[in-house]
Amino acid sequence: MTDTRDASPDEAVSLIDRAAEQAGKMLEKIFAAAQPGAVFGQPVEAGSYTLITAAEVTSGGGFGVGMARGPAPKPDAQQPPPAEAPGAARKQFIGGSGFGGGGGSMGRPVAIIAVGPNGVTVRPVVDVTKVVLAALTGSAAMLGLQRTMRRARKDES
Amino acid sequence: MDVLGTSEASAESVTMHGVTVTPQSRALILRLPKGGLVWNRPTAVLVEQEGRVRRIPIVDITRILQVGLLGLAVLTTSASVRRCRRRTGGAA
Repeated sequence: MTDTRDASPDEAVSLIDRAAEQAGKMLEKIFAAAQPGAVFGQPVEAGSYTLITAAEVTSGGGFGVGMARGPAPKPDAQQPPPAEAPGAARKQFIGGSGFGGGGGSMGRPVAIIAVGPNGVTVRPVVDVTKVVLAALTGSAAMLGLQRTMRRARKDES
Repeated sequence: MDVLGTSEASAESVTMHGVTVTPQSRALILRLPKGGLVWNRPTAVLVEQEGRVRRIPIVDITRILQVGLLGLAVLTTSASVRRCRRRTGGAA
């Protein structure tokens, strides 16, 4: 994240330009996940077999930029103006800009391709944790709904 | 450039034991002005042996089980809601 609250307008614009460059590089990295090299691993030799891993890859990200300027607030009449403020007298406006972004990627093994003397086989990889979590979430939602319906029926009778 | 698009690509072929294997993948790409999303998954393997080309699909068992469980939960829930409505005469 870049914050240019104390920078002059020119400095802020140059910082935002640099941030936009960084954002472009970040987007390039995100879209690199669309290449098949991101999904298939390098072939690994194991005995008489050659194994290639296949994974599902998801990546995403985004960024935002903002800049604002406005008139400087009038100095408080009760407080004396700061004496050692260089250029304070000609500072007619106040402003700032900010840039931020984020992203992430996730991979999950799907299958292993085995090339051996008996031919080519594709062995699926089952993520038991994900399946169990889906089953638990589904059953918890169903049980919760059934309990609510039972309670509603009891209240009616 | 499309906001939402798909692209199919083939990885580098591997030749071993007289068999040439070419893995294939399909990517769903969402391009936004200030960001993006890529979902890339393996789809199949092309096997070339003795001049014949065979396509072996890559099945995502985890995804099938997840979607199956979700479908089962939705079906069971809608069935119990319907049963409950029938019992209470459509008041619930």
